[in-house]
Amino acid sequence: MKTRRLLVALALLAAPLAAEPPSAVAIRNARIITVSGATLDRGSVVLRNGLIESVGASTSIPADAWVVEGEGLTVYPGLIDALSTVGLNTPTPTIQTTGRRGGGPPTGDPAPAGPVSRGPEDRPLNTSYLLAADQITLADRRIESYRNMGFTSAVSFPTRGIFAGQGAVINLSGQRPSAMVIDPSAGLYLTMRPNGFGGGFPNSLMGVIAYIRQIYLDAGQYKEAKAIYAAHPAGNKRPEYDKTLEGVLAATRILLPAQNPKEIHRMLRFATELKQKALLYGLQEGFLATDVLKARNAAVLLNLRWPERARDGDPEAVESMRALEFRDKAPTTAAALAKAGVPFAFYLGGLERASEINAAIRKAMAAGLTEADAIKALTLSAARLFGVDDRLGSIEPGKIANLVVTKGPLFEDRTEMKYVFVDGVKYEPAPAPAAPASEATR
Amino acid sequence: MRRILLAVLAALPLMGAADDTFAIRAATVHPVSGPKLENATLLVVNGTIAEIGNAKLAVPKGTRVIDGKGLHVYPGIIDSSTQVGLSEISSVRETSDVSELGDFKPQLRAAVAINPSSEHIPVIRANGTTTALAVPGGGLIAGQASMMHLDGWTWEDMTVRRDAAMVLNFPTLSASGDRSFADARRNYDQQIRNLSAYLESARRYQKAKAAPVPDFRIDLALDAMLPVLEGKVPLLVGAERERAVRDAIAWADREKLKIVLFNVRRPGKAMTEIKSRNIPVILGPTQELPLEEDDPYDEAFTVPLEFHKAGVKFAFGTFGNQFARNLPYQAATAVAFGLPYEEALKAITINPAEIFGISAITGSVEKGKWADLILTDGDPLEVKTQVKRMFIKGKEVDLDSRHTRLYKKYMARP
Repeated sequence: MKTRRLLVALALLAAPLAAEPPSAVAIRNARIITVSGATLDRGSVVLRNGLIESVGASTSIPADAWVVEGEGLTVYPGLIDALSTVGLNTPTPTIQTTGRRGGGPPTGDPAPAGPVSRGPEDRPLNTSYLLAADQITLADRRIESYRNMGFTSAVSFPTRGIFAGQGAVINLSGQRPSAMVIDPSAGLYLTMRPNGFGGGFPNSLMGVIAYIRQIYLDAGQYKEAKAIYAAHPAGNKRPEYDKTLEGVLAATRILLPAQNPKEIHRMLRFATELKQKALLYGLQEGFLATDVLKARNAAVLLNLRWPERARDGDPEAVESMRALEFRDKAPTTAAALAKAGVPFAFYLGGLERASEINAAIRKAMAAGLTEADAIKALTLSAARLFGVDDRLGSIEPGKIANLVVTKGPLFEDRTEMKYVFVDGVKYEPAPAPAAPASEATR
Repeated sequence: MRRILLAVLAALPLMGAADDTFAIRAATVHPVSGPKLENATLLVVNGTIAEIGNAKLAVPKGTRVIDGKGLHVYPGIIDSSTQVGLSEISSVRETSDVSELGDFKPQLRAAVAINPSSEHIPVIRANGTTTALAVPGGGLIAGQASMMHLDGWTWEDMTVRRDAAMVLNFPTLSASGDRSFADARRNYDQQIRNLSAYLESARRYQKAKAAPVPDFRIDLALDAMLPVLEGKVPLLVGAERERAVRDAIAWADREKLKIVLFNVRRPGKAMTEIKSRNIPVILGPTQELPLEEDDPYDEAFTVPLEFHKAGVKFAFGTFGNQFARNLPYQAATAVAFGLPYEEALKAITINPAEIFGISAITGSVEKGKWADLILTDGDPLEVKTQVKRMFIKGKEVDLDSRHTRLYKKYMARP
C-alpha cells in the first residue's frame, strides 16, 4: 500500500521533470518585488520543481541551478486575471454586470437554446455543474498572449446563463489542460441576465432574483433530504438527483454582479440572505459605495475595462453628464477601495492588448492608486480572494514559481518583458509587444 | 285650427333643413384674422358665414337666433397631426389602420380609412377642435394625410381636403443599440438613394403622361405623386433634430420640392435654413420632456417661441389620439413660456389652414368661410374655459363624449 502511494507520487512528479530538464533556476542580482514582504533591491530567487525554493538578498545559488543574470531586471510575482474566460473556448469575455435597461438581455450572448422555461422548476439558464477546469482547451491563443504580457494565472469562469458554472484558478501554461489547473473550485459565477425573448422564465430582473432565491431554498432542502436518505435509505423516498443543485451546493463562493451603488447594496444584502460567501464583480461605480462595502466586509473584483466613448458612435451625439461623469470617475474606484480598506483584485474585462491594459492601470494610478496597490490587486489580492494565496500571488518560498521578469517597471509600454516563469518553466516573450494572437482566432 | 296645426307640421321639416342657418347675437367674436368684435352679430346661412356685424346687423326674418351674451366665438381649432379615425386602440391591431406595408405608397388616402364612429372624435372635440389632420404612417412615403372635419356620417362628409399633404418619413440617421454609425450612415444613404430613384420614376411617369406614350398605363402610386411634383401638395417631412432638418431641407432643395417640416423638436442652427426658404413647420408636442437628460426642462415649452422669433410659420399637432383634446393647452404652454398669445391662437387655427391649403374655406371667422365655430365662456387656451357649443359647417355638433358620459354615470352612482 505504502509503496503504491509512493509510486503514484513519483509518477506525478515524473511528468514535469521529464519535460523540463534543468529543474532548478536561479535569478541572481535582480530587484525583487515580493509583494508579501519588503522589496529587495538586490536579491536572488531560486526555483525548483516548479516552486519557489528560496528568495532573499543573500540566498545561496545551488550548484545545479541554471542561472539567469538579473542585473538591471525586476522580478514580480506572476500577474493574475481575477475574472476571465481565458483557456475556455468562449468568445472574449465581455463580462457584463447587468442586463440591458428594461430587463432585456445583452445582445451577443444568446440564451442557450432549449425548451421555453415556465418557472424555477425547469432550472432555466442553470449550468452550475459546469466546471471550467473540465472545459480548458489549449487551443485558446489568449493563453499565450496573456502570458506574454506577464499574466501567469487566471481565474476562468463559464459565463453563460444565470448560474453559469464553476470557475477554476489556472496557470497559463501546460502541456495538458489538466496540468494547468490550480484550483478547480474557484466559485460559482452568477449573472442577473434574464432570459431572452421567447426563452421563458425568468424574463425580468425580479424574476431572476426570485429564481436565484428559490434555487438556494431548493438546494438547502435537497441537501437535507440527501442527508436523511443517506442515513435511512430504506423506507424513504429517494430525493431526485438534481445536477443544478449539486453544482450550487458544491460552490465554495459565489460571484455576483454589481456595477453601481444600487446594485452593490442589493447584491450585498442578497449574499447575506443567501448565506453565501460572495465576491462582487464589476464595481466601476464602486467609488460611490466604499462605505457600505467596507461596513459589510465585502471583497470585490474590479473591472479594468473602464467605460469609454463608443468607438463608432454618432459624431453629433451629445453625451449625458451622467455618462461623462461615469467615464471620468470610474478609474478612481481602485484608489477609493484601497483607501477604504476594501480588498479588491483587478480583472481585465476582455482587454487584450498590453497597451490597453497598461493604460487602464495607469488611469487608476493617475486617480490615486499606488503602484504597490496596483501590483497587489493583480497578484496577492487576487490569490487571497480566491483562497489560493498559500500558492500564488507573491514571491515566497513554497509558492508556485510564477514570476515575471522585466526590464523596467510594470505597466509601462516601453518596459520589456524579459522572462515569464509559469510553474518554474521559463518563457521568453517576443521582444516587441505583439498584437494579441487571439484577434485572428476570434 | 286643425288646418293651421297641419301647416305648422308641414313646415317643420323645412325649418329642420335650415339648421345650418342661424345668427349669434351679443357675443364677442374673435376672428383671429382681425381684431375682436364686442357685442357682435354673426349670421350663418347654409353653413357659411354670411355676415359679421355689430348689434344692429339685421338678420332675415325667421332666422334662429342664439343668444351669445357673455360668450365668445372663435374659429374651430385645427390639429395639424393626429391619427384620428385611423386608430382606435393602437395595441389592438384590428382597430388600427394607420400604416400599410412597403416603402412607397403615395396612393394611399387617409381619408378613406377614417372611422366616423371613432370614440376619439367626440372626445377630441370637447375642447374646441373641429378639424384634424389624419396622418398615415409607415414606410418612407406613407401616403396622403387628409384634413378631416370631426363630424359626419361618412368619411366623405368629414373630408375637408383629402390630399392636404403627402407624408414622407424622412430616413433618420442614428446609431442606436449595437449599430455603428458607419453602418447607420450606409443604411441612410441607401434609403436616400431609393427615395431619389422613386422620385425620378415619378418624374418619368409625369413626362410619359404629358406626352402620351403608346403603351402608357395609369399607375396609381406614381399618379398620386404628380400633385407633389407640381407643387400643389406639400410633402410633410418628419425631422426632429438639427441634422435631420438640415438633411431634409438639402434634399428638398435638390429635388425642388415644396415641403412642410413635421415634428421638429430641436432645429438648432438649421432654423436659418428653414426661414430662408419659408418652410412652414408642424411642431411636436410642447407638453413633453426634453430630448436628453441634461437638456433644460423647458426645451419643449420654448421651441415655439424660437420659431416665432425666427419668423417661421408654424402650427401645433398632438401626434396622437388620446391626448389630442389637449391641443389648446399645448399652445397655452408655449404662451406661458413667452410665445405671444395671438401667435399661439393662430398656430391652432389660421396657420394650419394656410399650411394645408384650406384657408379659403376655414381657419378664421370671416365672411364667406365655413361656419366652423366654437362658442365658449372664455379663452379656449384656458383650461377652465368651457366650450358651450360647436358648429361644423354651420351644423351644431353634440359635445357629449365618452368622457362626459362616464362623468355622468359615476356622478350618479349611489
